[in-house]
Amino acid sequence: MEALLAQYPWLDELLMGFLGLSWKHIAMWVIGAILIYLAVEYDYEPILLLPIGFGAILANIPHSSAVSTHPGEEGFLVVLYQGGIANELFPVLIFIAIGAMCDFTPLIRRPSVMFFAAAAQFGIFATAVGAAALGFKFEHAASIGIIGAADGPTTIYVASRYAQDMLGPLAVAAYSYMSLVPVIQPPVVRAITTANERKIKMGFLGEEPVSDRAKFLFPLLIVLIAGIVAPISVALIGSLMFGNILKVSGVVENLSNTAQNELANLVTLLLGITIGGTMTAEKFLTIDVAFIMGLGAVAFVFDTVGGVMFAKLGNMFTKTKINPMIGACGISAFPMSGRVIAKMALKEDPTNFIIQHAIGVNVAGQVASVVAGGLVLALIPALTK
Amino acid sequence: MESAVTKALKMMAIALPTMFFVIAIFYVATKALHKAFPAPVEDEEEEEEEDEE
Repeated sequence: MEALLAQYPWLDELLMGFLGLSWKHIAMWVIGAILIYLAVEYDYEPILLLPIGFGAILANIPHSSAVSTHPGEEGFLVVLYQGGIANELFPVLIFIAIGAMCDFTPLIRRPSVMFFAAAAQFGIFATAVGAAALGFKFEHAASIGIIGAADGPTTIYVASRYAQDMLGPLAVAAYSYMSLVPVIQPPVVRAITTANERKIKMGFLGEEPVSDRAKFLFPLLIVLIAGIVAPISVALIGSLMFGNILKVSGVVENLSNTAQNELANLVTLLLGITIGGTMTAEKFLTIDVAFIMGLGAVAFVFDTVGGVMFAKLGNMFTKTKINPMIGACGISAFPMSGRVIAKMALKEDPTNFIIQHAIGVNVAGQVASVVAGGLVLALIPALTK
Repeated sequence: MESAVTKALKMMAIALPTMFFVIAIFYVATKALHKAFPAPVEDEEEEEEEDEE
């Protein structure tokens, strides 16, 4: 073959795709195809897993022009990475869209639900410790822990700063496990609660309706408090609340609709395929990625345990009992976690409707996960000094 | 030189209480906001109508 190439140098140019092909490329095509299959066949976060899967295939064609890093000939996925992820722009834009979709009314009506959401961030820190024990360096361990925020954009935001090489697997783990909430949470909740606890009914005593003015001032309030406590979180929480104020102000309906639809769709599309583009075989086919996938599941389990155990602890000190299952909704996987838990309550007792409480905790999870992300962002550099 | 595990444990020890502290501030501020700007009677009726729908 070498003699042939020496005789006909142009063959090298024509056959470079074949000549550069290895089993690793083919393995990555299979992984990309699995992600696409899960998205199409099982509806697992299709808006992200489908572009990620396709991006992974594009990135693993030998000498792919999509991921070329030759100066002056940069591939479009490299350009998108530099322009949207390396500088943290895409996650921030996604947060504007999420904020415009969020309704914080249940949270304002019953702010105590935020404590469950805080407890449900336990998985982040427990997983970070586990990852460090497995040999990951601290910055990487903390970035792996962030999968427990159950919040794709926060995971990408933290990873793009402290674990660029792991961005692909971290994003895939975050979005995959978010879509697996109906599979992960119910057995964990059942294992740590009794049937009687799962049947606890919750009322709405003392919960007043929320005024438009309170809804309008809420995002400003949260940004100011979070910003002062952890200035590094302003980009995340600020964009989330900016999106929300577009919605609740009621005067920029077009902007709010654009954020919820066009912006969300466009950025999600670019974000997905760009993350897929980072999943090259040499970065993805490693033992570390297998650990990341395992630790992602651990993070979701510990989140669930943290939220439920906190609710059970609260029940020991209060007269009015709460259904401890709602503690599991404190993760950011909205509204899936709230729906899953409400369905579980109905399964235990068909007259037990806890959906509003569950969704309230789930909305609080959106805020708490961003606060947790901000704290991790602040603590990584502080602890690595 | 601290190990990664020590740093991760330290992060947990600092971040979790801070998290609850921040959430406690959110809680107090949100309660105060809700109390300072109660829903007018019309809003209540609207919400009830929405609920019925």
